[in-house]
Amino acid sequence: MRLLAATAVAIAVVAPAQAQKVEAETFVLDNGMKFILVPRHDQPNTISAGWLAKVGSVNERPGITGISHFFEHMMFKGTNTIGTRDPKRDAEYREEQKLLRDEINQLTWSEQYARYFRGEIDDPWNPANDTPKLKELRAKLKASMDAQQGKAYGDELARLKAELAKEADAAKTEQIRANIERLQQEAAANTSIVKDEFDQVYTKAGGSGMNAFTSYDLTFFFITIPSNKFELWAWMESDRLNDSVFREFFSERDVVHEERRLRTESTPTGIFDEQFESMFWISSGYSWPVIGWPSDLNSYTIEEAERYWDLYYRPNNLVGFVVGDFNPSEIKPVIQSYFNRLKPGREAPPPVVTLEHKPVAEMRMNAEVEAQPSVEIRWHTVPFRHKDSYALEILASILNGRTGRLYKTMIEGTEIASNAGAQSETRKYAGAFSIGAETKGTATPAQLEAAIDAEVKRLQDELVSAQELQKVKNQNAANQYRRLQNNMFLMVQLAVAEAMGTWQEINEQAAKLDAVTAEDIQRVARTYLTKNNRAVATYVRKAASATTADAGPDDAEIAKLPPQMQAGIRDMVKRLAQEQDADKIRAALAQMDSQGESVPEPMKAAFEFMRKKMAARLEQLEKK
Amino acid sequence: MTRTATILSTLLVGIGATSAIADIPPRPENLVFAPLTFEPPKASDYRFVLKDGTPVYMAPSAEFPLVTISFTFKGGSYLDDAATTGLTGMMASLMRSGGTATLKPAELDEQLDFLATRISVAASDTSVSASMNCLKSNLDESFRLFMDIVRNPGFDQARLDVLKGEAVEGMKQRNDNADGILGREWANLLYGEDHFESRDITAMSLQEITPERMRAQHARIFHPANLIVSVSGDFDKAQMIARLENAFAGWTKGEPIPDPPAPTATMKPGVYYVQKDIPQGKVVIGMRSIKRDDPDFFPMLVLNDILGGGGFTSRIMQSVRSNEGLAYSANSRFDPNVWYPGDFRAGFQSKSPTVALAIKLIDDEFNRIRREPVSSEELATAKASFVETFPQNFSSKDSMLRLFVSDEWTKRPDGYWTTFREKINSVSPEDIQRVAQKYLDPSQMAILVVGDWTPIYEGNERASMKNFFDGNATQIPLRDPMTLVPIKNPAK
Repeated sequence: MRLLAATAVAIAVVAPAQAQKVEAETFVLDNGMKFILVPRHDQPNTISAGWLAKVGSVNERPGITGISHFFEHMMFKGTNTIGTRDPKRDAEYREEQKLLRDEINQLTWSEQYARYFRGEIDDPWNPANDTPKLKELRAKLKASMDAQQGKAYGDELARLKAELAKEADAAKTEQIRANIERLQQEAAANTSIVKDEFDQVYTKAGGSGMNAFTSYDLTFFFITIPSNKFELWAWMESDRLNDSVFREFFSERDVVHEERRLRTESTPTGIFDEQFESMFWISSGYSWPVIGWPSDLNSYTIEEAERYWDLYYRPNNLVGFVVGDFNPSEIKPVIQSYFNRLKPGREAPPPVVTLEHKPVAEMRMNAEVEAQPSVEIRWHTVPFRHKDSYALEILASILNGRTGRLYKTMIEGTEIASNAGAQSETRKYAGAFSIGAETKGTATPAQLEAAIDAEVKRLQDELVSAQELQKVKNQNAANQYRRLQNNMFLMVQLAVAEAMGTWQEINEQAAKLDAVTAEDIQRVARTYLTKNNRAVATYVRKAASATTADAGPDDAEIAKLPPQMQAGIRDMVKRLAQEQDADKIRAALAQMDSQGESVPEPMKAAFEFMRKKMAARLEQLEKK
Repeated sequence: MTRTATILSTLLVGIGATSAIADIPPRPENLVFAPLTFEPPKASDYRFVLKDGTPVYMAPSAEFPLVTISFTFKGGSYLDDAATTGLTGMMASLMRSGGTATLKPAELDEQLDFLATRISVAASDTSVSASMNCLKSNLDESFRLFMDIVRNPGFDQARLDVLKGEAVEGMKQRNDNADGILGREWANLLYGEDHFESRDITAMSLQEITPERMRAQHARIFHPANLIVSVSGDFDKAQMIARLENAFAGWTKGEPIPDPPAPTATMKPGVYYVQKDIPQGKVVIGMRSIKRDDPDFFPMLVLNDILGGGGFTSRIMQSVRSNEGLAYSANSRFDPNVWYPGDFRAGFQSKSPTVALAIKLIDDEFNRIRREPVSSEELATAKASFVETFPQNFSSKDSMLRLFVSDEWTKRPDGYWTTFREKINSVSPEDIQRVAQKYLDPSQMAILVVGDWTPIYEGNERASMKNFFDGNATQIPLRDPMTLVPIKNPAK
C-alpha cells in the first residue's frame, strides 16, 4: 500500500490562526437594540437583513408552550398601518373576538375539561363535543372573523347561488342576482383586513426569501432585498416591532395545527421524536416541543400574548443584522431614525432559572414505526461555549464521514448499518451528544446499539491517533471559510451564535477547536458518554397491516421473509397460480438460476422461496 | 501567528439619540429609492475554449482561499433502460466512493479528507456533474486526485456492495413518507410508467448494475466532447487554462449523446388516490404544460406567480391558508421542461375532512384566472417582483457560472437574460387570460391524493370529493417498495 507523505506525518493544511474572520461593526441604540453590520461587496446589489428576538420555547412554561413560535406567525399579520384598511374597525373586531374566545376558553377549561376527566368526551377542544352554549359562542366568533375578513353572509350566499343555478324564471333570477350583489357589497364594506399586505409590500419591492424560524433558544426574522431598498426594510421591520397588533390571533392557530400535522404527525417518526425529546430533558424548558402541545396551542389568550410581547419583543432583547452590499455610514442613520422609535421594555426578560437535572438512571423508549429500524443514543452534555463543547465537537467529527469510525466499523466492516452519524448539539442552557444508526439487511437495533457501545468504549479506552485528530482539524479549518461564503447563511450563523452567547464565537471557535487534544477527547468520552447519563430510543418496523390481509396457504413461510417484501411476494405467488404458460416459467427460472450468485443477501430468502414456488407450478403444468 | 490584516475590527459605537421620527413617512409607498441600474453579465465575457474545443467558464474572486472546479456532462438517468434503471446514478456515486485505477477507495478517501477537499459526482435525470472544492493551498494535489476520479474511476466491487446495500435500505423506506409516494405517482400519471422521469431503481434492476456496465456508461458520458467546465474562487486564469490543458492531454472524444426522449404517454384527467393512514391528505392537481423555450413561457411565468407561485401574495396561498387556515403551505408550480412539455401543478396538505374543500378553492382559482383578466395591481406586483429580484440570479459567481453552463448545454436562445425584464414587462392581462384558458383547464387535470381516503372522500359540509369528476376516483395501489409492482390492496 502506497503511503502519501501527508498521511505519514500529521501536518495541518491550514493554520487556524490565519483563518479569515468576520469583520463586523456593532453598535447599540439608546433604547438598547443592538445592530451587527457586515458589509461585503463580492455579491453585489443585494443585502440580507434580519432581526433576532432572544426568546424561544425554553422561555415558555406549561400552559403557553409553543407561544414563541405562534408569535413568529403573528408577526406577519401587520400593524395599524399594514394589513388593514380600517384600523379602528379592525380593533373593534379584535376586541369582540377576544371577549368571545375568553368565554370559550373559560367554559372549555372548566366544563369540557371536567367532562374529559370523567371520560364523557374524548377531546375537550373538539368542536364536535361542544355544549349548546359553546356552539353558540363558536358560531359568533366565526361570524366575527368572517365579517372582518370580508366573508360575511357565507352560508346565505352559498344558498342563494345554489338557488340561482336552479332558477329558470328570468324575473326571479334577476331578484336573486340583486340579493347576491347586495350581500357581497355589504360584506366587502365591513372588511377591515388587507390580507398578507406585509408580504405584498416586500414582494413588489423585490424582497425575496422572506421568512422566520423559531427554535428552543431564539426567534429570527429575515429577508433578502435589493441593495437600494434598505430603508424599506427599516420601515417595515420597525413598524411591526413598534405597532404590532395580534390580528387573526384565533384563526391563525388552524394554520399552526396544520403545520403540526405536517411536521410532527404525518412524518414517519415525528411523534416519536417528540416523545423522545420530552423524555430526555428532565427538568429544563427543552422538554416541550417548539411548536407546543396542542392543548396549549388552543389556550393562548391575548393577555398572555401581550405579556410575552412586553417581556421579550422589546429593543433590549432584540438584535438587528445586515450582511451584504452596503456602506455602513449610509445605513446607520437610517437604522437610528427608524429603530430608535421602539419603546424600551418596562422590565428585563426574566432569567431562565431551572437547570437541567442530572439523570441518575438510563432511560429507554421502544417504538414501532413505519420507518427503517434504527437506534438513537443520546447523552446529556454541556451548553454552547462550554469548555468541553469543543472536544465533543471534534469527537463527533472523528466518528462521522466516510473516513470516520462509524462508517469503517458499522457500514463497511460488519455491514450492520445503512447509515450512521454522531452529533454534538449545544443549546443555550444545556447540551446533548447523540449517535444514531439505521439497520441494514437483517441487523437489529440491538446489534447497532452494541456496536455503538463498542465505539464509545474504544474512545474511552484509547487515545485517538494524531492522524485522525489532524484530519478533523484540517476539515474544521477549511470549513471556517466555506461557511462564510453565502450572505444569508452567514447572517443566520451570526444570529444563532449571538442568541446563545455572542456572535464573536464565529471568529473564536476555530482556535478553540484547534487546541483540542487526544486526551481532551478521551476525558469528555469518559465524563459524558456514560450509561446513567443517557437515553436510548429503538425503532422497529411496524408490521404492515394492509399487506397481510389476504393470507394464503403460504403465509407461514412468507411471514418469515423481510416484512417489506411480503406483499410483493404474495402478489407474485397469486399471479404464478394463474400462469398457464409453462415456457414462460421455464424461461424465468433459467434467468433466476443465472442470477443466483448475485442476489443481494437481504433478498436471498425471498429469491429461494420464489424459485421453489415456480418449480412447483412448472411441475403442475407439465403434469397436465 | 496572527495576521493583523485579517483580524476583525469590532467597533462599539454608541449612537446619540438624535431621534428623527418626524422623517418617517406614513406608508412604505411614500419612500423614494435611489435607482439600481443593473446589466446582466454576458456569458461570452467569462467563456474560454481549450485547444480540444472544451468550453471553460471562469470567474475568479480572491475573497476566500478556496477554488471550485465543476465539470458538467450531458447524460443522466435517461440513458438507463428499464432493465438497468439506476445505473447512471449509482455509477456517479461509485466514482466518488470506489477509488481509482491506482488508489484503493480507503486510500483515496483518507487523502481527500486529510486535505479537507470535497469532491462530489452526481447524476440527475438529464446531466452528470463532477465537482471539487479545495483550499487554494493544495489546488494542484486536489485537482490531480479529482482528474484521477474523473478519468480513471476504480469502480471497486466491495464499495459497490456497500452502495447496493444502502440502495436496498433506501427502497425499503419508499412507502414510509407520503410525499415520496405523491411524487412517484404524480410522475407516473404525467409521463407514464415507462418514461425515465417515472422510473426508479428496483431490486431487479439493482442486480443488473455491475462494474462492467458502469465502465461502459462512464466511457460514454465522461469525455471532452460532452463536457463544459466552470471554475470559481481564488485562482489565476492563465494558470488554470494551462492546468486544464495539461490534465486533458490524451483524453479522447467520444460520440455525442442524444437528447432526453419525450414521453409517449398522455395523462388521463380524473381523481386518483393512494390509501395511507395519516392525519393529513397530501394533494397535487395539475397537467402537462409547455416547453421552456415556448413563446408562452413568459405569460405562464407571471401567471404562476399571481396564481400560486408568489408565496403569501399569491391567490392560492391567500385562499387556502390565509382566508381558511386549511393548510400550512399551498402553492402552484410551473415546471417547463427543456426537452418536452413539463407540468403546471398546484399542491397542498390538509387534514382529511378539508382536503376536498381546499381542492375546490384551488379549482375556483383556476376558473377565476381563466374567466377574468388579472387586476393591474396584481400584475404590477408580480412584474416588479421578477424585475427587482433579477440581479439575484447573478449574485454569486457560482450561481452565475451555473446559469452560463446550463444555458450552453440546454441551448437557451441568445439574449434571454438581456431581454428578460422587457419580456416580463410586456406581459398583458390578456396574455395571462389567454394562456390560462389554453393550459389550465380543470377538466383536463388530474387530482392526486395520498391519505386516508374515506374521511377525505366524505369531506365536510362545504365540499366533498363528489364535487370532482362526478365523484369518480381511481385507487392507485401502493407499490411494493422493492419491486415497485402494485400491491393488490383489500377493497376500501
